[in-house]
Amino acid sequence: MTSTSALEVQNVSFGYNGGLLLKDISFSIAPGELIALIGPNGSGKTTLLKILLGLLSPNSGGVMLHGQSLSSYQPKTRAKTIAYVSQQPALSFPLTVRELVSLGRYPHGGRGRESTSDKLAVSNALERTAANDLSDRRFNTLSGGEKQKVLIARALAQSARVLLLDEPTLHLDLNFQLQILSALRRLCVDEGITVITVLHDVNLVSLFADQALLLSGGALRGFGPVSEVINGASIKELLDVEMTAITGNDSTTRYFVPRNPFDAKPGRR
Amino acid sequence: MNRIILRFLLTATSLLAVILIGLSIGPVPISLLEMSATDKEILFNLRLPRVLSAFLVGGGLALAGSIFQGLFRNPIADSYLLGVSSGASLGAAAAIVFKLASPLASFAAVSVFAFVGSLGALALVFYFGHRAGGFSIFRLLLSGLGVGLFLSSLVAIFMLMAGEELKALIFFFLGGFASSSWDTTWVSIACIPLAVLIACYFAPELNVLLLGEETAASSGVRTRQIQLLYAILAALLTSISVSVAGLIGFVGLIVPHMIRLTFGADHRTLFPLTFFSGGIFLVLCDAAARTFMAPAELPVGIVTSLVGVPIFLYLIRNEIGDLG
Repeated sequence: MTSTSALEVQNVSFGYNGGLLLKDISFSIAPGELIALIGPNGSGKTTLLKILLGLLSPNSGGVMLHGQSLSSYQPKTRAKTIAYVSQQPALSFPLTVRELVSLGRYPHGGRGRESTSDKLAVSNALERTAANDLSDRRFNTLSGGEKQKVLIARALAQSARVLLLDEPTLHLDLNFQLQILSALRRLCVDEGITVITVLHDVNLVSLFADQALLLSGGALRGFGPVSEVINGASIKELLDVEMTAITGNDSTTRYFVPRNPFDAKPGRR
Repeated sequence: MNRIILRFLLTATSLLAVILIGLSIGPVPISLLEMSATDKEILFNLRLPRVLSAFLVGGGLALAGSIFQGLFRNPIADSYLLGVSSGASLGAAAAIVFKLASPLASFAAVSVFAFVGSLGALALVFYFGHRAGGFSIFRLLLSGLGVGLFLSSLVAIFMLMAGEELKALIFFFLGGFASSSWDTTWVSIACIPLAVLIACYFAPELNVLLLGEETAASSGVRTRQIQLLYAILAALLTSISVSVAGLIGFVGLIVPHMIRLTFGADHRTLFPLTFFSGGIFLVLCDAAARTFMAPAELPVGIVTSLVGVPIFLYLIRNEIGDLG
């Protein structure tokens, strides 16, 4: 493939002690797209993210980041190219939001005081996730949704062109889920940043993602535009859930309604 | 910038004041203005090494505590609760009982054995306290408790085996700074400031590690190397402190916590402030230990517990949020 892809995965397999967690996975992601990574628990999503970050090395196959082999990057150079938002860490220390976001400048920084460009990058990052007004609060006093905005701002402060997120909408109320995904969507559309995120809600996938990566049992079950790969049959196969697709009033957006697997309906005994 | 200068001046002034207090306390009244030859002898060969030792040990213990807290992302870790101090005492006791230290420069050799003991204890706590998801506070502290109790039992067996070395061993475990001399101080002077400088230099890496190992690694931190380095530094600080002054609890717990509450959790400021405050705190505790029941001396570990435990319990009740 050409070096125009942001991230290219070639025949990656990974496992410990003979058991394979990922089996011969290949795909290529164009810059500026929002990719949803979907799959049941234990399907290898987190393992795949760690391989894409260079935190685990595949047993066979390889990953190309902006046309260059991921394993050839120095850790700090890699961090300036690809950034990660993990599931929310428990932070027992009184760091302020601004302090936490400026930790994202680590790969750029010397050891002394923050430079002007560091300060600028931190303010920009806070602005892009609409977390400006939180900057002097202590991180551990924030709500789950506010924390998530701040954690994304930290990753943005790394000034990387590729962003990986592990379930950024976990434990958030619907309003914050939409805020977070809209912010990610803007990063793709306005700035051409590539976003790969684990998501569980197929409706949010169909509302926000360009492409979907379907993973189960460590194997790639589908990769392509959401309108093509996500449908009742693929959801049934991937998640073992019966869903009916309903087309919205704009005649393009599709909504997925799960079928109640029990015979007893609410309100009827 | 002004705040930094202010903090520095404040620390320097308190340090100077506390050293003067430490030097002027003792059974022989000495006026710093008119000194006889004996006064000078007492001041330079007895009190100065004592005050310096107390300062370096206090700073070292406080810094070791804040390193453990950062390393385990957990505000109530310290050398004492993690059993690392017990590992250091076991190493030191082995050196004394089996006369491993006698042919060489004896104090330095005891420190080396204490260092090996504390590294061993830390390795055990790491092994039992770690799970794939990281360190849970309960698993960590219970491992520390278990390892500490086990190693203390071994120390007790060593004491029974000690024979003619028993007196040296008891003297060692009583702790405190009464027996401090230049012989015991030079190891601290050589090692502790160096450990402080290294800890401060890598503070940005430890800051990023507060967000978790994966996030730190994805930010370009070489996490394994940094964790190993800080584990060794904290074990070194603990073992020198134990070799100089025996078991002294709570300095590593309350000093970093107070500094964090006042100045925030950034290790770049936390480490130097914790070191100096810990040093000042222990010099004051030692001064109190010499004054309360003068001419008899309280072991300084009792003073730090009397002051530290109420503060510790207060913090558990009011300040430490989610202990996970």
